[in-house]
Amino acid sequence: MKKNNRLYYWLFLAPALISFLIVVVIPFAMGIYYSLTDWTAVAGLKSNWVGFANYKAMFSDFAFKYSFMRTFLFTAISVITINGMALLFAFLVTREIKFKNFFRAGFFIPNLIGGIVLGYIWQFIFKSVVPAAGAYLGIPALEELLILADPTLTLFGLIMAFTWQYAGYIMMIYVAALLNVPQELLEAADIDGANFFHKFKSITLPMIAQAFTITSFLTLVNAFKQYDIIIALSKGGPSDMYKGEIVNSSEMLAVHIYNVAFKYNNMAEGQARAIIFFLVLSVVSIGQVYYNKKREVEM
Amino acid sequence: MKRILSLMLVLMLVFGALSFTGCSSTTEEPAKTEEPAKTEEPAEEPAKDQEVVIYQNKVEIHEQLTEFAAKYTEETGVKVTVKTSGGDSPYAENLKAEFQSDRQPDIFVIEGMGGYNTWKSKLAPFEGQEWMGLTDLAFNVEGNTFGFPVAVEAWGMAYNADMLEKAGVDPASLTSQEAYKAAFEKIDSMKEELGIDSVVAMAAGPDMRWVTGLHNFNGYLSAGLPYGDTTVLDKLNNGEADVDRLTEYADWVELLFNYADKAVLLTGNYDSQVGQFGVQKAAFVHQGNWIDPWLMSNGVDFNMGFAPHASVYGEHNAIFIGAPSYYVLNNESENKDAVNDFLNFMATNELGHNYMVNEAKMVPAFKNVTLMPDAPLSSNVAEWLKVDNGAYTWLQNDMPDGFGMGTIAPLYEAFAKGDIDKAEFINQLQKKIEEIE
Repeated sequence: MKKNNRLYYWLFLAPALISFLIVVVIPFAMGIYYSLTDWTAVAGLKSNWVGFANYKAMFSDFAFKYSFMRTFLFTAISVITINGMALLFAFLVTREIKFKNFFRAGFFIPNLIGGIVLGYIWQFIFKSVVPAAGAYLGIPALEELLILADPTLTLFGLIMAFTWQYAGYIMMIYVAALLNVPQELLEAADIDGANFFHKFKSITLPMIAQAFTITSFLTLVNAFKQYDIIIALSKGGPSDMYKGEIVNSSEMLAVHIYNVAFKYNNMAEGQARAIIFFLVLSVVSIGQVYYNKKREVEM
Repeated sequence: MKRILSLMLVLMLVFGALSFTGCSSTTEEPAKTEEPAKTEEPAEEPAKDQEVVIYQNKVEIHEQLTEFAAKYTEETGVKVTVKTSGGDSPYAENLKAEFQSDRQPDIFVIEGMGGYNTWKSKLAPFEGQEWMGLTDLAFNVEGNTFGFPVAVEAWGMAYNADMLEKAGVDPASLTSQEAYKAAFEKIDSMKEELGIDSVVAMAAGPDMRWVTGLHNFNGYLSAGLPYGDTTVLDKLNNGEADVDRLTEYADWVELLFNYADKAVLLTGNYDSQVGQFGVQKAAFVHQGNWIDPWLMSNGVDFNMGFAPHASVYGEHNAIFIGAPSYYVLNNESENKDAVNDFLNFMATNELGHNYMVNEAKMVPAFKNVTLMPDAPLSSNVAEWLKVDNGAYTWLQNDMPDGFGMGTIAPLYEAFAKGDIDKAEFINQLQKKIEEIE
């Protein structure tokens, strides 16, 4: 009987295990192998072992370093704005107000729009609506403002679009967490004369620390991997001068890797960058989860 | 009994999962593949069992080509299947996937030397075919013909003939940088009268890097040189820059940028650039005859034509004419004869001509075609084709992968924004060329 149990155990696990093996483990191992060769993805061409040449080329590439830096900047600001907005929305829609379900749905809806569509919507806003509004209001500076020609404004434009898309989703997680904060604790604090900030700092924040772990993980990973909004909104542009080199100011890592692999047709080099991208993202997100876990409290 | 039943259930689940993963990779196929309307084949002759699969990259002619393939099947009984991917979905990448599948295409598309270098292990040359004598634009490497020119395309400075007439500028006089400068100044001073925002509709933003990094830069590679001359290109591919030529060329870029509308130049996309010309807010547009469908579908009816690009100093009487893509033969194809018959049919038969000119709205690369395109810029290209030495070579696809759109296009953007001046622009271009190994 016991032996049978073990058989069933593996049998039931098999579909999941096999799929995981086929679609994750094997391709990943192949990816690592390809990053050490001069693989071109052309059928019938043998790829040659080149050792760490692709990795060396990567670390001496200025565009890669710049892209890394911009990605970190974009991620850091996005994590803050998305979580800030989401928490604010969550507070608003958990209060006793009319139509709160309507508002919850409203904030969530941008998340249902695909990144490409959303990118084009914001591109339209930045290119056509803003100048038109400037003309209507009689502000020449706004009328002639080319947001997508300015590197800094474009970065903030991207963050705005991403926040608009993602804050509603993160808000839902905060709403669930806020509803789980025990009312009796808050009431007891009220009686003791605590004001809003005291309560927020000492009760609400520790009680929703678990949600923080999840939300900061989700926003971090998603911001780091951002691709579709960038492609639709700015295509990696506009150009910028950095240390005497001309660079693509919004070419984040995912876009950069795609360009190296498919525009420059350097499949293996793109693959090597993707491996580094994966490693950095894993380290950062595991570190973040570990750090946040420590702050969680159990009731 | 029960145990056996449950065991079977589990096994079914396992195989279900397996076949599901197997299926998911093939489900896309039927959507892409469009079978010709006629599928029944006469089975008597073994030769008719040959079937040609074309994997091509022009989404806009997919239906027309499929229809033509169906007509061909009707005439000859040989089945031709057209598969298409392109537009926004990257053809080169999908082609690699297509080669991993069990049915490789017999004909696929390359766009020049870059594609040739990637795919040369897969290509077979065409030998002694009828169509080869009818065109100068076939794709040749070391005396072997590898590519059947899909169509002719061309770009020059497209102008609004009615507007130039109103401004008193003769398009035939636009043959040098001085002439352009004078004409631009004159038109610029008449902006109000003509109702235009800027003289040229030019775009150098992130959406339009092919205009600057490929098309405009091709002026540096081939303007003023005899057709087929690749000396400047060869030097570039060896990492050598011709600084005198770059300096002359930078004057041309500066001239275009100075007389362009800032918003279109820096953030414009295809629609805003072509649109500026289409609604007569600009007298010139830096685009080719592929904008015809856009103009026609938007009801543009003024007269227009191409003037030469004065990319470098000297007199010019030619526009950039070339075949943007070629049909090539897969050397592992089992249907080589059928492929040759099909391509000859397209180049020599009335039905083929009708398909290329009237259905697909292309300018054919073959001299025996007498039909004239009805689209305004395409018919102008057909006229330029008859001019002696009226063509400069397309070399922009023969640069290293990514060099045009990836490496140098941002320099144009920086120059257009004023981040760098002309001297620095030349300097940077030179540096990027010298970085090529």
